[in-house]
Formats: sequence, C-alpha cells, structure tokens
Amino acid sequence: MDGSMTETKTALSIKGLSKTYNGGITALRDVSMDVAAGEFLVILGPSGAGKSTLMRCINRLVEPTAGHVFHDGREITGSKANLRLIRRDFGMVFQQFNLVKRLSVLTNVLTGRLAYRSAWRSLFYSFSQEDKRIAIECLARVNMDHKAFQRADTLSGGEQQRVAIARALAQKPKVILADEPVASLDPKIARQVLVYLKEAASDLGITVLCNLHQVEYTREFAQRVVGMSRGTVVYDGPAANLGDEILHTIYYRDPDAQKANGDAE
Amino acid sequence: MTSVAVAANVESTLAQEAEHGRRRTIKAIAWTILAVAVLWFTANQIGMKPGAIITGAPFMWDFLTRMLPPDLSYFPNLYDATIETIQIAIWGTILAVIMSVPLALLGARTTTPHIVVFHVTRMFLNALRGINELVFALIFVSAVGLGPFAGVLAIALHATGMLAKFVAEEAEGIDRGQVEALEATGAGRMQIILFGIIPQVIPAFISYTIYRLDVSIRSATILGLVGAGGLGFSLIKTMKLFQYHQTATCILVIFVLVLVSDWICARLRAKVI
Repeated sequence: MDGSMTETKTALSIKGLSKTYNGGITALRDVSMDVAAGEFLVILGPSGAGKSTLMRCINRLVEPTAGHVFHDGREITGSKANLRLIRRDFGMVFQQFNLVKRLSVLTNVLTGRLAYRSAWRSLFYSFSQEDKRIAIECLARVNMDHKAFQRADTLSGGEQQRVAIARALAQKPKVILADEPVASLDPKIARQVLVYLKEAASDLGITVLCNLHQVEYTREFAQRVVGMSRGTVVYDGPAANLGDEILHTIYYRDPDAQKANGDAE
Repeated sequence: MTSVAVAANVESTLAQEAEHGRRRTIKAIAWTILAVAVLWFTANQIGMKPGAIITGAPFMWDFLTRMLPPDLSYFPNLYDATIETIQIAIWGTILAVIMSVPLALLGARTTTPHIVVFHVTRMFLNALRGINELVFALIFVSAVGLGPFAGVLAIALHATGMLAKFVAEEAEGIDRGQVEALEATGAGRMQIILFGIIPQVIPAFISYTIYRLDVSIRSATILGLVGAGGLGFSLIKTMKLFQYHQTATCILVIFVLVLVSDWICARLRAKVI
C-alpha cells in the first residue's frame, strides 16, 4: 500500500444501476459505487448476486435498464455512438478465459488491438509492427512470451488466463473488468493470476474490478471490498473489516422460507 | 409423511402408470392402421405390382446379356470424359466455396446484418438446395450451351445452397464466450466475424467441402445425361447408339470413379478432423 496522502481521482462512478432481463429476472437493483483510479477493487458475492451483470453493464455487453456509469467524469451509458471506443478502454477477463482456441497465443493478444485498427486491414489478418510489439510486451508481462506461437487450445487453464490478461492489457485499457477470473483454476495458479491482475493496478495504474466468490482470496488481495447479494450492494469497505456478520449478510441474506416438501393431500 | 400416506401415493402413481400404458397402446394401434391404409393406397396409386418384376425378368435378362461383357476396348475413349467429370466437380465445388462464404454469413443468425436479410438468404439457399443439379443443368445447357461449363454451374449452384446452409448453422452453434471476449475488446462487427467466428467454423467448413467434392463427383457423372459434359454424356451416347457393351464400360468406369473418390475424400476428411 502506498498509504500516502496522494490525491485519489475517481475513475469510475456507478449511480443507481439496475438491470432486469427480458425473462423478468432482476439482476441488479439500484447499484452505486465509486472506484478510484488505479484501485484494485474486489466485488464479492455468491453466484447469482449480479456481479457479472454489473461488469457487463459497465462495458455495455449488457444494456442496463436504468442508471448511469461515468468514466473519468464522462457518462458512458446511454448513447451507442462511441461504443467501440468505450469498450477499448475496458479490458475484460473471463471465468472461462474465452480465448479464440484455434488462433495462436500471439494472435489472441493481438485481438486486443482490433479496436485501434480499421476493419479492412483486419480482413487480411495483418497487424502493424507496433501492435505486434505491444502484444509481445503484454505477453512478457504475464510470462507467456515463450509460448507466443502455440495454438491457444494447447495451453493449460492457468496459462490461458494469463494470455487473456495479456489480451486485456494489449488494449491499453484504463479499466480491467475481471469476471471470476480464478473460479476455474486451482489455488496455486489462482494466486498467480490474481498477482498479475493486482500488478496491473499497482504497476500500470489500471483500475481493476475483480469479481470473486472466494472470501479467502478477497482477504488476501483486496484493500476495499464491495459485497453483493441478490443484485444489491450490501457492504462497501475495507477487506480487513470482513467479519462473520458481514459475510453472513453477503452469502445468506433472507434465506428462503423453508417449506416442508410433502404436500398434505 | 406417514408410511401409510407414502404407500397410498405409490398406489395412485402405479394406477396412473397403468392408465398411461393403456393410452399408449390404443394410440399405437390407431397409428399403425392409418399408416398401413395410406401405404396401401399409395402403392396402388403408383402402380406397384410385384407381378411386373416377374413378367419383366426376361427383358432384364436380355438387356444384361446385351451389355455383358463390357467392351473394354472402349475404355481409352472414356479417358477424356473421366478427367472432364472430375474437372467439372472440382470447379463446381470451388465456385460453391467462394459463393457460400458470404451467403453463410448473411444467413446465420449470429452474423447477419438484419433479420430480414437472414430470412431472405435462407429462403434463397433453400431454393438452391431444393432444385436438383439435373434441373439446373437443363437450364444452363440452354443458357451457355451443351458442354461441361453448364455442368460446372449446375453443381456450383446446388453445392452453394448445401455448403452455405451448413456453414451458417455451424456459425450459429459456436462458443459465444470467444465472441463475447472480442466484443469486449471493442472490435468491430467484421473483425469479430474474422477473428472470433471464422476460426471456429473453419474445420467443419473444410471437412464439409471435401464431402461436397465427393458428392459433386457423383453428380458430375450423370449430368451428361442432359448434355452437361462428363461421363454421363458418353453413357447416354452409347445407349442411343445401341452400343450396350460400351454402355457397360461407362457404368464400370463411373462405379470405379465413385469408389475411388469416396475413399480419397473419406481419408482427407479424417485427416482434417
């Protein structure tokens, strides 16, 4: 922790965000939070708490039903006009890595540069020397440059996730949205991946939002935690204060009224 | 629940099961009677008379004896026609590959620019698939004249319909996650198709193209019947000239060609997959 009194700028400001899907399921209810530039923020909550929907509302893979998101003071919800430019600023890392399996590791990282380039150039699957340099640097940052020319589907899960982080970094993003990035990985590999994500914040000044459902990793890596349950924020504070009571609120709020299974006929 | 209540539930479920069984049996009998009636009626309509096979047997025998043995000295005359058959199939398939890529992208729900374009493309593809190559060949013979080029066009159109529909369906069944990751980078529509969808579809596309080549070779062997080049033309020519021993040679060559192409294409596909 730097711990100094440096001025912290708000990078991301979420105000009253709600999302109800077509089927009538409400995933987010009036979610608000501010995230400082360069912060590593963990969003903690059980499956179905709305963490993924929250991230996808930020980069507009999902359109929020109501509410606003501001990035560096500019509203990024609403108009679809600059969607590509908005998404370019937000790197995303997924639970299932989502590399294009049949493309090489390097080409996968290069797809992080697509939003900077015109469609007609992409038509020939060619990239500029500069893009290649950026991609290889990003691969080196996650120690995957030695596998640049392998096909993505030949890598282990942990390696794929590191390449996916390199792809996000290649976008030169302002923010990284990591949606359960370690849910499919074993603990040792998971910690590696979280270290890389945390370095993106500490070394590169990228604001990182990281969805997790494991309390253990949250305590280990996060300074600040936002706890979510059933689409609402139920906790927002330091990871050090995550006590049993708060965890209970996050994971076991309003348990279903347990009904006896047998119907009296 | 008490054990008495459980026992009562089991009894009532058993009774329900028996009732379901009775209904199933009645339904099965009704459908069988209907099917037999329809098939009987159909058989009469299309003149299926088993007796005709027996009374016709001598004529078949006569035809066979006039064909056998095949006139192997005619074989060198079929050399060019065999090559031409393969050439028709290869060019027809290549043209189909070229035409089917854009049509597949327009006709897949995941890549189409608009739902109306999707439906129009699918209808067009259905028409291409629904019309037999022989019919296309008849049309093209009158358009571009007798000869192999009409055969190439006929095969190209029909294969386009098949190939594009197949690829479109592949493009709809891909892993959404890989596409979503590209959307998240801010890549444009065309870039997402190029980097996220095409890599996922390519193995199936190559495999199906090889299969199509095999099918096209079979088709090319008979397109000559309507004058669109290839071995079929030799076949119909020798028949019209009552040179049945030569006709038998044609059939033999067609048979061997189809066998060989089937074998080669099957091996190629196994390699791709």
